[in-house]
Amino acid sequence: MNNVIIIGAGPAGMSAAIACAQKGLDVVVIDEYLKAGGRLLGQLYEQPDGSWWNGIEESARLHQQALDLGVQIQLNTPVNNIEHHDGQWTIYTEHETLSTNHLLLATGAAESPIPVPGWTLPGVMSVGAAQVMTNVHRVKPGERGVIIGVNVLSSAIAMELKLAGIDVACMALPKMSQLTDQQAHPKHVLDSLLHVSHMAPSQFVKLGSKLMKNDFMKKLGVTFYPKRGVNMWDIPIQLRKAVIEIYGEKQVEGVTVATIDSNGEIVAGTEENVEADFVCIAGGLYPLAELAALTGCPFYLIEELGGYIPLHNERMETPLDGLYVAGNITGIEGAKVAAAQGTTAGLTIAKQAGFEGLDGEIEEAIQVVEETRDQSYIQFHPEVNKGREMVKEKWEEYVLPLRSI
Amino acid sequence: MTQRIVDHPILGSIEEKEQVSFTFNEKEYYGMNGEPIAAALLANGVRTLRHHEEKATPRGIYCNIGHCFECRVTVDGKQGVRSCLTPLQEGMVIESGGTLPTPVKDWSAKNE
Amino acid sequence: MTEDMIICRCEEVTYKELAETANKYNCSARELKLRTRAGMGYCGGRTCRNMVDKLAADLTDERQTQITLKYQPPIRPIHFGDLGGGQS
Repeated sequence: MNNVIIIGAGPAGMSAAIACAQKGLDVVVIDEYLKAGGRLLGQLYEQPDGSWWNGIEESARLHQQALDLGVQIQLNTPVNNIEHHDGQWTIYTEHETLSTNHLLLATGAAESPIPVPGWTLPGVMSVGAAQVMTNVHRVKPGERGVIIGVNVLSSAIAMELKLAGIDVACMALPKMSQLTDQQAHPKHVLDSLLHVSHMAPSQFVKLGSKLMKNDFMKKLGVTFYPKRGVNMWDIPIQLRKAVIEIYGEKQVEGVTVATIDSNGEIVAGTEENVEADFVCIAGGLYPLAELAALTGCPFYLIEELGGYIPLHNERMETPLDGLYVAGNITGIEGAKVAAAQGTTAGLTIAKQAGFEGLDGEIEEAIQVVEETRDQSYIQFHPEVNKGREMVKEKWEEYVLPLRSI
Repeated sequence: MTQRIVDHPILGSIEEKEQVSFTFNEKEYYGMNGEPIAAALLANGVRTLRHHEEKATPRGIYCNIGHCFECRVTVDGKQGVRSCLTPLQEGMVIESGGTLPTPVKDWSAKNE
Repeated sequence: MTEDMIICRCEEVTYKELAETANKYNCSARELKLRTRAGMGYCGGRTCRNMVDKLAADLTDERQTQITLKYQPPIRPIHFGDLGGGQS
């Protein structure tokens, strides 16, 4: 039996493994991917101080640090099921069955799709897929792409594609439907885009972030938003165009776009074709909670954090004995927050495994999570703090009756 | 024609890796040892990895990290292998999935 | 065009089929899944589950505290050969 098993070798899982191993625990980290790092692997952006955040280097550093501390890392290992019997967790992987008293789920996030007619054609992929192909495997997803969905993640990845010498024909909105929520609504998208304005060299967007503090100005902004789009890193961003179809016989040949009004409605007769050999769909991320859901852990739908969240406290404990969560499974945030949560989880596990005198360190680690969140360069959900408060309230509600027993 | 990003302004040049040969649908290709099968195929310009079991529509990678199973292929006789996260090895025999000979019954509402 | 758009890629279930079923039977997400097979394919619903959720007619408050489309093991397909602990 292992002291600690961690599922997910991303920033949260690896940071937790390091924290546990530093306290002397035996740790096994399991991940189905062929490299350690999770979503951190693909990340590449310039930080405010001018240095580059290089996800591959960061992942390699975490991997090496964990190995040096004696952490066992099992890659290429899918987990099919987990069960809890007599205070022990059993983990069924494709290769073997493992057991532990302390199980950390750091399974990260999955991408939400935006369905578009023609989106099953080869050459259509999630925006994260294009990122991984480009930065991690160094293979071009294509020569010329169109990105459907304008948000923080897709804007960052569009820039990464440009860096690698891949042409991005345009970024445009999806056609409005029951399934697109506000992602098809120009005003809402402009609003959320203002959160990345600090990344944009475009005068329009920078100016916009100052001018458009109120709704009226935003509406005006969209109304006067140039129909030809504005450029960010030389990529035309089309908030007044929607992709209505992806076409191609055996694979992607292009997309049909149409002009939309400021409410997202298609203007008839404005359809035109844009040639492309790949298309990225950017619908955002949601916490990948499937393993936690198998355990019977309570869940709450918290849109501010991206979806269903397993109940947990700031120490990263769930209400179930020996079950912990960290990283994007607890809400969509950046890799640095995930890593800080992982460190917190690792220290909490060490405490629960019998190491004394860790309360101070755990408190400090929780502080670091909050500071990292406040200093985040990229905020995926602007209301993340509200979401975190909601989880705290749910936790209090949940444990209160148990305390009085 | 190569689709590889050999030089990158921030990430530098690709590490030299051992080249290996493999077959996909009986055609021979070369890729880098240990890279995902899907990446090796895309570097060779191959996007279509399988056809849908019932409707025969062509499919390629979608999520590229193992969640969607769209990129599944048969590797050395083993079916349902995700090409996006399976490391390429010398001599692999990779086959694309196609339509199944007997379509499963359509349970959808219109047939009730 | 939008009508024929596929929502569940694994089982090729269209928007039209889901919308009509949701409308006709006033379905919960679970019922919608069972009637159309959307979310029941190879990927286990990881790709389309949120869309099936949105198309379900019955958006009750329970949704807030309960995952509407239940996850069941195994969450990854297993080969029969691997099931009984046999050698693959």
